[in-house]
Amino acid sequence: MRPAALLRLALAGTRTDSVRVLLTALSAALATLAALAALTVLAIPKPAGDAWAQSEQYRNALLREPGLRGGTAFALLLLCVPVLALAGQCARLGAPARDRRLAALRLAGATPGQVTRLAMLETGVASLLGTLAALAGYLGGRELFDRPDARGQLALPTDVLPSPWSMAAVVLGLPLVAALATAVMLRRVTTSPLGVTRKANRERGPRPWAGVLIGIGVLAFAVGGSIIRYDRSPDGPPVGTLLALLAGGGLTAMIGVVTGTGWISHTTGRLLRRHARRPAALLAAGRLTADPWAGSRTFAALLAALIFGAGAAALRANFALQDQLTREQNRLVGVDEGSDPFYLATMDLVDLAVAVAVAIAATGLLVAVVEGIVARRRAYAALVATGVPRGTLARSIAWQSLLPAIPSILLALAVGTFLSRGLFGEVNQSGTAHEVCDASAALCGDPATRPQYTRIVTSPGVSRAPEVPWEQLALLGAGALAAVLVTVGVGLLFLRASTAVEELRTA
Amino acid sequence: MTQLQARGVVKAYGRTPALRGVTLDVAEGEIVAVTGPSGCGKSTLLHCMAGILRPDAGEVTWRDQRIDLLSEGARSRLRRTEFGVLFQFGQLVAELTAAENVALPLLLAGTGRREARTAALNWLEWLGVADVADTRPGEMSGGQQQRCATARALVTEPRVLFADEPTGALDTLTGEQVLTTLVRLAREQRTSIVLVTHEPRIAAYADREVVLRDGKIDQTGLGLDVSLAGGQR
Repeated sequence: MRPAALLRLALAGTRTDSVRVLLTALSAALATLAALAALTVLAIPKPAGDAWAQSEQYRNALLREPGLRGGTAFALLLLCVPVLALAGQCARLGAPARDRRLAALRLAGATPGQVTRLAMLETGVASLLGTLAALAGYLGGRELFDRPDARGQLALPTDVLPSPWSMAAVVLGLPLVAALATAVMLRRVTTSPLGVTRKANRERGPRPWAGVLIGIGVLAFAVGGSIIRYDRSPDGPPVGTLLALLAGGGLTAMIGVVTGTGWISHTTGRLLRRHARRPAALLAAGRLTADPWAGSRTFAALLAALIFGAGAAALRANFALQDQLTREQNRLVGVDEGSDPFYLATMDLVDLAVAVAVAIAATGLLVAVVEGIVARRRAYAALVATGVPRGTLARSIAWQSLLPAIPSILLALAVGTFLSRGLFGEVNQSGTAHEVCDASAALCGDPATRPQYTRIVTSPGVSRAPEVPWEQLALLGAGALAAVLVTVGVGLLFLRASTAVEELRTA
Repeated sequence: MTQLQARGVVKAYGRTPALRGVTLDVAEGEIVAVTGPSGCGKSTLLHCMAGILRPDAGEVTWRDQRIDLLSEGARSRLRRTEFGVLFQFGQLVAELTAAENVALPLLLAGTGRREARTAALNWLEWLGVADVADTRPGEMSGGQQQRCATARALVTEPRVLFADEPTGALDTLTGEQVLTTLVRLAREQRTSIVLVTHEPRIAAYADREVVLRDGKIDQTGLGLDVSLAGGQR
């Protein structure tokens, strides 16, 4: 097939296909912007001077302090996770119509390889459009925001540009990865001239291995935390080992929570099926047991954001305790400089990133709910025609989302808290000894009178565990649940259109 | 005795007219076949008579009650209790077993889980598919699925069964078996059947045949030839 024909066929389709292409491009654009922002932060040169030298050209401490820039870049890269998950959900949008189109192409003589290449090309081209648009937006934004204030400081690092190679790697690499991911996903799909079938060999349902993965992740963080706390080697803790433990542990725990959602869906579905008295519950139970991984796919980004959010909440509690202990010590020696808001203010930015991640994840959730309704519209239309009230269907869809969502959200919050607690552990404040002057500075300064007017105040070392940030965890959980409820509510608006009698007229 | 009546029913989809004033009576226990060429309005008439669609004009009456004036909820209740509906495609819930699918209308009506399952198993046995009671639709043949769908349509013991091309997706032998079952039901339980089909062979099972053409009744009687009625284009 000629490339032009391949491209035309890849981008042909209905309005739903156009929406899918648009959303895929949008997700790719958002991911590119986040990645380019992270690269830009990392491209800020180290300021000349000692280890404490700061990049004074920036207004924001997150950019000014070299020690914080790595974390800022990491947080920006983390934003890519929900965005890429959104892209994954978008890829499923209009899947039945696309399946029929691909089957029709096979019927017209296309080979299985050509069909796979078509699907890859669609995702790749859509992603490339998105990354190019994001690059244009990034370069345009640089010019737009390159406005130093009265003190000559910049709000954003518009004075630096990542290397062209790294930018090209993001702009071209992301569509390539998206296309390859499509090919990998299609490995389990057989497109024949008569339709599309998906290999499904999970007869027994998910096993509870996710618990082991979560355990490994938490253990890795605890080991990492111990290394940081107890390492006394002159070169400092082994950075490579620490990175491997934290990255590997975090990823393993995250996979554990996401796959655990599959197990939760299956188990709750099975229990519901056994005890359901009402049709809505029975319908939901059937769906949960038939495709328990739908929950994993749907909630993956949201759960990842919650793990991160819970970890950040625990870290905030750690900072707050550290600040409190420092103030208590200072008060003992009669010096109270007030609390140091710097780290807590930094955590506000992390919380903002979590909120953005939850919002992006909620968008993916909405796409998943709508896609689930649209994909099953014929079955729903038949049920409505036979007298099943739409309210029953709406309740069953709500059950399907909420039943796995509630335990999964709790699990994600718990895992995030445990990871953070394992890494940071207790707050240790070493004991101090301060000389306190009970008279004028002159008397205390004079070596002759000094012993008479000064005394040494010691404060013992303190080791205290930070409190579990219940309030923030509850806020996170409630926010996530609200996001699920809102997306289900919005998704249900599509139910009426999807249960129209016209749906029964199509084979 | 006439149970179900359509009087001057008019229905259009946008600017495209589907029914242009159709009048049809269905008596208790009567099997009426609605035939005609594609796009003549057969399914639309069935949907209007079953209360799935509301006509733009005209009346649909069930035992002296105007269905077309009822709210959507009331029409849904009517379809659950008095009517049964059977389609060619997409009828069973893929995630539920055959028995759960059949029990669904009873659960909606408030029947207990155990009683609903017992009734479902009885109907599946009556239709000769008891062996697939705990099987999901994806693992059944087309004929088995259609029998399960028939069981689901009949489990509430409806007074009228609306069947839209019920054998359209089946092979000849299985189609005949399903039809024979429906006729047996109509005779034994005095259930009326409104059967939409474009196959004269299927229409031959009916007590009366109505041929639609361009949204109007063209002929009515027995053993009518759709092609002579100008139906085949």
